[in-house]
Amino acid sequence: MESEDDIIDDLVSMEDDFYSGDFSDYYDDPNDEDNDYYSDGDDDYGLLEDDEDDQEAVVSRRDQLGYTVLKEADIKQRQEDDISKVSTVLSISRVDATLLLRYYNWSVSKVHDEWFADEEGVRQTVGLLETPVVQVSNARELTCGICFESLPRDNITSAACGHPFCRTCWQGYICTTINDGPGCLSLRCPVPSCNAAVGQDMIDKLATIEEKKKYSRYLLRSYIEDNRKTKWCPAPGCEFAVDFAVGGGNFDVSCICSRNFCWNCTEEAHRPVDCNTVAKWILKNSAESENMNWILANSKPCPKCKRPIEKNQGCMHMTCTPPCKFEFCWLCLGTWSEHGERTGGFYACNRYEAAKQEGVYDEAERRREMAKNSLEKYTHYYERWASNQLSRQKALADLNQMQTVQLEKLSDLQCTPESQLKFITEAWLQIVECRRVLKWTYAYGYYLPEHEHAKRQFFEYLQGEAESGLERLHQCAEKELNKFILCDGPSKEFDEFRAKLAGLTSVTKNYFENLVRALENGLADVDSQAVAACSKTTSSKNLGGTSKGRGGRGKGSSKTGGSSRNVDDTSN
Amino acid sequence: MQASRARLFKEYKEVQREKAADPDIQLVCDDSNIFKWTALIKGPSETPYEGGVFQLAFSVPEQYPLQPPQVRFLTKIFHPNVHFKTGEICLDILKNAWSPAWTLQSVCRAIIALMAHPEPDSPLNCDSGNLLRSGDVRGYQSMARMYTRLAAMPKKG
Repeated sequence: MESEDDIIDDLVSMEDDFYSGDFSDYYDDPNDEDNDYYSDGDDDYGLLEDDEDDQEAVVSRRDQLGYTVLKEADIKQRQEDDISKVSTVLSISRVDATLLLRYYNWSVSKVHDEWFADEEGVRQTVGLLETPVVQVSNARELTCGICFESLPRDNITSAACGHPFCRTCWQGYICTTINDGPGCLSLRCPVPSCNAAVGQDMIDKLATIEEKKKYSRYLLRSYIEDNRKTKWCPAPGCEFAVDFAVGGGNFDVSCICSRNFCWNCTEEAHRPVDCNTVAKWILKNSAESENMNWILANSKPCPKCKRPIEKNQGCMHMTCTPPCKFEFCWLCLGTWSEHGERTGGFYACNRYEAAKQEGVYDEAERRREMAKNSLEKYTHYYERWASNQLSRQKALADLNQMQTVQLEKLSDLQCTPESQLKFITEAWLQIVECRRVLKWTYAYGYYLPEHEHAKRQFFEYLQGEAESGLERLHQCAEKELNKFILCDGPSKEFDEFRAKLAGLTSVTKNYFENLVRALENGLADVDSQAVAACSKTTSSKNLGGTSKGRGGRGKGSSKTGGSSRNVDDTSN
Repeated sequence: MQASRARLFKEYKEVQREKAADPDIQLVCDDSNIFKWTALIKGPSETPYEGGVFQLAFSVPEQYPLQPPQVRFLTKIFHPNVHFKTGEICLDILKNAWSPAWTLQSVCRAIIALMAHPEPDSPLNCDSGNLLRSGDVRGYQSMARMYTRLAAMPKKG
């Protein structure tokens, strides 16, 4: 027990030393806002009664700044509402309103602005014609513009422009575009010079049931994918989307399918590490796999939407498939509009050359040496990253087991209502969250620059403390709890246990929140103090006549941690 | 299959009927396969291709006209948007901007237009594209004219 108290004291003193209370404003009131985000769920956080989905959400609730999880029905509802709004305000059909909204990425205000600024222009660009461009003759037969057959009028259909095509050709045309992908949402009349839009009314009239389904699927997807404020939850098979209020500095969101992910890069939630580091880390982890080798050798990601693109023909001027349509240079992946004289031609793209030249400056020997070291270094961090990942999964499973079986049992055994056993669930939720943070600190550590000794040492110290604090909590929630589950009847020590576990939970929670903040700051708080401590040691060394600067790295290490001396001592 | 055959047959009859309509284009269907066509197009005047006759090969897919035909130059040509070795053509209407309302005849017209107005920003032949991009119009024209003489004009004597 004593050692535990020590740890708790350490953690608390840590806080006082380095973070002097500037977190409070950040984390103070998660509960006030929470109810807004999950307004469709239960009002109170009756953890034990809720299904597990909601509980996962609670894991990261303190990180939330503002987002809503949308189910398919919600998405449809919002889409319908937006269409109705535009249709009413502009007095146009719902079909036209849909076309307009899609063109302007489902931004109602943008549609209004553009429309009222220049209705004619908008009609022209989106292809909403008011009158046919072709005078329909009174002839009994018309010639279809695709199969060139003369057919009775009944068989001929046109978009708003009046260009005549037979039903069969329309069906073929619509079927081909729908099967080509979401580009079918901006379908135009087949006449190349005509830009009349083909809307959902035509699709409904002419497409098969299967195609109509696809079309409305694309329309729904477009509402999420083209909208800047919404994204799909990246979990496989999950059909929920997240509406994110851009503005906060934190991108972690948790879907009600229980997936926690980063809204910015859609990888799993990765605070305190930033998105770029995560992307590098994930690429590195999978770099060895065959798949990755093939993708790297044969494709490049679109610089805008990141979908891998295989180039199988044509020139270097690439145009990503709709809806992205980003134009870029295959060689340097720069935007195409910047190409031409400035890059000195096309196959001889300057930026590509420049990148190659940079590589030339590396001395071959140094590189070989570094490769070996870096592999060892990588293995070190990867193993720890992966083991925390595993540990988190185990903890999730345990949490589940706890909620479904153990708590009930424990409640009977200790004669305590389940509602009073919340602290156990909370402890496990905290463990799951801490494992996640801890895991990502290893990616953070891997990319922390070698030469920033003070930062590295401090980081490793913080990480070590986090690791042991979490172990303490994990042990308590796992092993010590077991005693009470296995015993025969109510135990007096249960109240003590409750206090201890709740205490550890809260202390660990605080510590990890501080850790996350510190790492997100790039250890800025720590830097000044640690450097100060560092310069103190070096200056004292200088007095002693040794070399300058940060030279004595090995020896200095224990002293550079001087700013945290009190903790060093106690943990020894 | 049936639809594409019917449509090609219509185009075939149209070509037979309007043979003199466009003297710059001569479209010929393969004797045994209606999905294979060749065309002879005249190089547009006031371009380095003037005086040359260029042969195009069409390979029409079964989904035609919902899918575009594949077209390439059989005659060697020095042009920014034509692959110098394979004759492959970089033209939007043959790829993503295809519309079933286009015909083989109108594709030929589009290719003639491309010959007169090269698009050096999307080069398939970079030497050619770079000459134009760097403003060396004379250099480009003389190269193009030389290849027109070498490959697209009947040998004299």
